Parts: sequence; structure tokens; C-alpha cells
Amino acid sequence: MGPAEPSPALNRLRQSLAGIDPSLAPHWPEHQRLIGFEPSIDIALSGGLACAALHELAPAAASHAGAASGFATALAARASGARGEALWVATDFAFAEGGGPYGPGLDLFGMPPARLLVLRVPRAADVLWAMEEALRCRALACVVAELPGGGAEADLTATRRLSLAAREGVAGLGLLLRHRATPAPSAAATRWTVAAAPGRPDRFGGLGRAAFDLSLRKNRRGPCGRWIVEWDHHERAFRPAVPVVVAETVLDRSDRAPFVRAG
Amino acid sequence: MSAQADAPRIVVATVEQAQRVCALNDAAARLRLKIGMPLADVRAMYPGIAVAEADAEADRNLLEAVADWCDRYTPLVALDALDGLVFDVTGCAHLFGGETELARDLVMRLARQGFHARAAVADTVGCAWAVARYGDFAASVIASSPLEGEGSRSSSTSRMGEGSQPVDSSLPLTHSNSLTRRRSPLPQGERARDAGAGFATSTFIVPPGKTESAILPLPLAALRVDADVAADLATMGLHQVGDLASRPRAPFAARFGKELLLRLDRALGRLDEPIAPRLPVPAAMAEQRFPDPIAREDDVLGAIERLARRLAAVLERRGEGGRLFQVALFRADGKVHRLELGTGAPLRDPVRVRKLFEERLAALGEACDPGFGYDTMRLSALVVERSDPAQTGLAAPDRAEELAHLIDRLGARFGLRRVNRLVPQDTHIPEFAVAAVPAHAVRCAMGASSPSSRSAGRGEESPEQDLLSPTRPIRLFERPEPIEAVAQVPDGPPVRFCWRRVTHRVVEAEGPERIAMEWWRDGRGNKMTRDYFCAEIEDGARVWLYREGLYGRETSNPRWYLHGLFA
Repeated sequence: MGPAEPSPALNRLRQSLAGIDPSLAPHWPEHQRLIGFEPSIDIALSGGLACAALHELAPAAASHAGAASGFATALAARASGARGEALWVATDFAFAEGGGPYGPGLDLFGMPPARLLVLRVPRAADVLWAMEEALRCRALACVVAELPGGGAEADLTATRRLSLAAREGVAGLGLLLRHRATPAPSAAATRWTVAAAPGRPDRFGGLGRAAFDLSLRKNRRGPCGRWIVEWDHHERAFRPAVPVVVAETVLDRSDRAPFVRAG
Repeated sequence: MSAQADAPRIVVATVEQAQRVCALNDAAARLRLKIGMPLADVRAMYPGIAVAEADAEADRNLLEAVADWCDRYTPLVALDALDGLVFDVTGCAHLFGGETELARDLVMRLARQGFHARAAVADTVGCAWAVARYGDFAASVIASSPLEGEGSRSSSTSRMGEGSQPVDSSLPLTHSNSLTRRRSPLPQGERARDAGAGFATSTFIVPPGKTESAILPLPLAALRVDADVAADLATMGLHQVGDLASRPRAPFAARFGKELLLRLDRALGRLDEPIAPRLPVPAAMAEQRFPDPIAREDDVLGAIERLARRLAAVLERRGEGGRLFQVALFRADGKVHRLELGTGAPLRDPVRVRKLFEERLAALGEACDPGFGYDTMRLSALVVERSDPAQTGLAAPDRAEELAHLIDRLGARFGLRRVNRLVPQDTHIPEFAVAAVPAHAVRCAMGASSPSSRSAGRGEESPEQDLLSPTRPIRLFERPEPIEAVAQVPDGPPVRFCWRRVTHRVVEAEGPERIAMEWWRDGRGNKMTRDYFCAEIEDGARVWLYREGLYGRETSNPRWYLHGLFA
């Protein structure tokens, strides 16, 4: 699923473009921090999701709002790693409409609430202001900005500003979470549409891990695509959502180990 | 003063079931009107006189505004009854060129705003109060402005004056200002020079140690006693404070209670009298006056930075940093703007203080109108905390500090209550299990031991826990949303539900997780047990639902709610 082999002429053109705007380089610069998914997605993203950049997320339908927040949380958890801090900004209305971030749930999902700052602002324009301010701050690993509705306030100019702010910061991952997918142009590096995928049942037949049906709708550095991934909240990693029999037996064995030791 | 201001005017209030004069201007006083006269009598004498109704609240607001303005002289300003202000000018007077100059400056500036004010500086509050109001009776020991009839006992002591340019009320108002000085280290006692203006105001300075000789010749009313007590004393032939002070105390205590002697002792400085300042006294402050008022935002912020630099020097010497800053902007026309902002960690850095106030001003916008400009600015640190100088690294910037500064900036813009951290609480009720606590109040910065270590620890102890799906949603509605749900059996999992006018079919449901309300809390009717289900609907989305009330035991018709969204 990797990008087609580019022609040398195209490569040269890209390199000269990269001289003008580093974000257009065919490969990310060395110091760029990337978030890995699983191999097939990483190839499309030429290495992974760039941290010092702006990415847009939106649910595929209204009922997938939880999945879109979940994907944003998962990315924030991966970006902030073991010690980084994340900021979640939303308008009062967005929190009333979609529910506020819930600490115990986030903790179980892999994002410890002690490392999350939550900012409620009155207007959508304030969300953008706060996000820009936060992206320039080097102490934050991730900034999630949530806009109710289609988020018309985050237009081309605003996203351009945010992208620049994200690039100025050291490694702040900027996530713009809209409540509804919009066809409006934006300067974000990637744009994702997130839906929940029916999860695999766990070994007791109950509900298993959360699975996401990710559609990459826009990608400045490669092809778009669609993948289904599972979020391993324990390891804080994405896994391909393919039922692998071998993997399951391994899980089972490690699972029983404590019981054996105890006896 | 305009011609209109010279017209006789009176203010009436209802006293003892009759409308009586409670204030009048000089022109009315010349007509031999007196305070306490019934309005009917006044109308009979002068049918055309201008009458206004007393408005106690407006008076109070005006006095508060004047007190706000007077804050420029000393941070210790207290309201005194209806028409007075008490200042503690200890250690402040030299900034204005001595007590005499301070009092003159105060009275002159107030006169320009249209107030007739009288000021007295003395060792005790009681003495200053007495002299400000009855100083004309004892001018031999008091340095007073020669404008007022000096030393003449018969001179008019009407303390009613008129605001010649009443701003927000049309009432003639008067404010006597008592200034008190305690243990003043400054030598004074010189006579106040000519105030040099054509307004009838006065300043009185009681030299230190001369309290007794200043107060003894004053009438007894100067002791802040009730009028009927003063009248009773007068029938006994006691008219002056000295008459009372020279007699044995016990009979007076028996006849009039302790209050009278307490007043006497306080006025004479035998007992201490604290004043209750209106505003908290800042731990540290810096102030700047401008010969020409400034109005541009850049200038204001520049001045704040300069003040912050001076404040930082003071705080650094003490090893402290500010947690709560206030800038007071004194507008040239007497209005005062006060902007406050809190910080997450003790702060001294002037550039950061400026940046925070920049956000605050931006957030306030038009609410902070400079008008004709500010002529005095004061930056104070209201709350300070110990802050030891930290070794800063050359290479890596301090992330915790940067984050604290970001929180302060966001807080200055949106209010510190809006920047929150989620802190786990000791309860099993889902909506109360976590509280949003202002981030600046939570002292678990990066690297500190925090509840986040819990999740890692749990993973090691019981790996199977983490292979299961999370049992709590990542988003929780503040108010559970009512839904229409259908279950196969009354206490079984839901099969279908309708949320926000869309019907969803439940493919898989896990539960119930039964959560009973805490019995020790009085829930006021909200004590029904909840059965929570994690339901996956047909397109894969997961929601957290609950049924309120146990079927058959608590209710016959349980209601359903949607409480949260899973990823």
C-alpha cells in the first residue's frame, strides 16, 4: 500500500520545494518526532504521524463521536508517552454536546488524567487562540482542540496559523477534532475520518478492545487509505485488527502465568 | 461654582414619621434652615426651594468611590459611618511631602472633584475624627488652614457642603476625612500654609503628643457619642470633653455605660483602636505617578513591567514570589480600575507579569476604558509565597515552569477556574468519581508522584484486567441524557434504544454493573440504584447506559439514561 515509486524529476522538484517550505519535504527531517501506527499506515504517512504538525479528525457520523474522541485520546496518549502533558481545549457547548473528558475512563484507555489539562472556553475562536498559544509552548506534547459542529471557525487561515505554531513548537502534536466532517479546505497535514469498527470479542466472549475504522482523507505526503486498527490501551499501541490465532494463544499463556506462579 | 450651585438646596429623608432636612448647602444654611427641620416648615418659609430625596445607597456608593480614589495615599483606607474616611498614613506621609502637604493635597484634589472635605491628622482615630469635625473649637493647638475662621469658636462649623459637580447623583454631599497617624516618626507641627484656592476647606494637623490639649476643649459630641447622651451630659453642665475627662469615671460608667468612657479613652490614645481597611493590605507593592495621564495600552503595559521590576526586587530580597497580583489603575477623573490575576506558582519575572496582564486586558476589552488616562498606577502582590531561587539549566528549558506559565496565561485570559485537571475523588458514583480542579491549585507537576503511576502498577499486578475493554467511558455527560430503551425482560440488558431521535439496535451488551447510591448521603430523591450496561450498537460505537431503579423493588417503571461514550 506504499506510495508509487516517484520519478527522479518529481523527486528533484520535491526537494526544491522543500527548500522553500520544509513541511513539503518528501521525508520528514531527522529530528521530527513521529508517532508510529502499524506498518501499512506508516508507509502511507512516510514514517508515521508527524508530531510538530496539525492533524484533523472528524467522526464519520454523529454516532461515532466517541470513536473520534477515542482516536484523539489514543494519539494524545502515544504522543505524550510516559511523562509528557497534554491539553484538551473545547468550548462549553462542545463539552455539553459530546460529554466532558472522563478521568477514570481516560486512565483505563491509556491516557492518565494526571497528565491532562482540560480547558473550557466560551467561544470557538477562543479554542483556536488557546490552541495556538499551547502549541507554541514547549512543555506540551499534545494539544487536542475540539470544535462543535463543522468547526467553520477553523478555516484555511486559522489552520495555517495553527500549522505554523505547531512547527514552531518542538514536538507538540496538534489535533483538531471537529464534531462533523467538513469539506472546507484546511492547511492540516492529514485529515482523518474516524468510525468505530465492530470489535473482536475478548476471550470471555465479552466486548474486546476498541477498534477504529480510519479513513485517511487527505495526506500531504502520500496516498490516502482506509485501515481498521485496534487500540491496545495497555501497551499504548495500535494493532492491526486481523484475528490472528497464534497471537491469541500467546496472550492466553502469558495471562495464566501469574496463576501458575501463585500456586 | 455655577449660579445654579448657589441656589439653596436641601435633601430630605423620613425621620420620625416626618420628612426632615438631612442635608443642605451653604446657600440654604444662609437662609437659616437647619438640619432636622420638617420639610413642611421649610416649604412654608420658602415654597420654591429645591428639594431632593435622600438616597442612602447612592451616598454609600459615592463614598466607596471616593475611598477607592483615596487609595492612592495609603493602602489602609476605612469607611467611617456615612460620610467619613479614616486613613492610616503611618509611613506614607513623607511620600507627599509631609502630613500637612498630604492633607492639603487630598483636600484640594477632592475640592476639584466637587467635594467639601475637611481633613485632620492626629495620633488616634478618635482625635482625628473629633478634630476633623469640631476642629474649629480648638484651633490654638491645631495647625489649620487659615482659610477657615481660625480659632473663632463662633465660626460656622456646618460640615454640610455641596458637591458642586455631583457626578452620579444630584445630592449635595459632604465627606469629612479623618486622617489618623500612629507613631509617626516624622517631625511636624508646622502650620499649614495657605491652601491657595478659593474653596472653603480645611486641614488640621494635631502635633504628636498634643492629642489631649487638642481634644479637651472640643464639645462632647466630638467623642462620637449619641446625640441624646450628649444632651444628657449637657443638662448636667458638661459641655466639653475636658469637663468629662477631669471627673471621676465610675459614676459616668454607671450612668451611661462603658461606651462613653471607651470613646474617651480611644480618643485620648489610652486604648488602641484598630481600623478595618476596606481592601486587603498587599504584601508588597510598587507605585508610579505620571505627570501626564497615560492611556495607550502599550504605555500601560510598559508601566506595569517597570512596576513589576521594582516589585521583583522587593520580593527577591525577601525570597518570595507573588501568587496573586493586582494592578490598580487610577483614572484622572477619579475612577479606579482594579485587575487581579492569580498564578500557578510564585512569580517574580517582570516580563511574565506583563504578559499575564496583557492577556487580562485583552480579555477585558472595552470593560477597562482608560477615559482621559491614568495618572497613578499601583502594582501589588496580594498573596505571596516562598520561592527560592532555582538553578536554571543552560541547555534545556524548564518544562514545568513553562507549563506553569502557559496555565497562567490561559488563566489570565479565560479565568483560572477554566483551566482544570481531573482529580480522582473518593467515591464510586461515576459522575463524582472525578473532579475538575483548577490546574494552578493542583500541585502535581510533571515527574511528581501522581495517580498516573497507578495504571502502570495495575498492569503488572493483574494483566488480565487490561486485556478487557475499559469499563469506564472516555467521555461522560454532565447530565445523563434520558433515552427510550426497550429490554427483553424488565431487568435485562437493552435491545434497542432511541437517543437524540435516532434509534439504535444493541448488538452486544455487557452488564449490568450495579451501582447503588451512597446510603450515607441524603440524595434528595436521587437514591435509586443504577444498572449500567456497556452496549455496542450495530455500527460498532459503544455507549454507557443505565437503568435507574431496580424493577419491582424500587420502581415499577425504570427509566433509562445514556451516561457516556466509549471509544
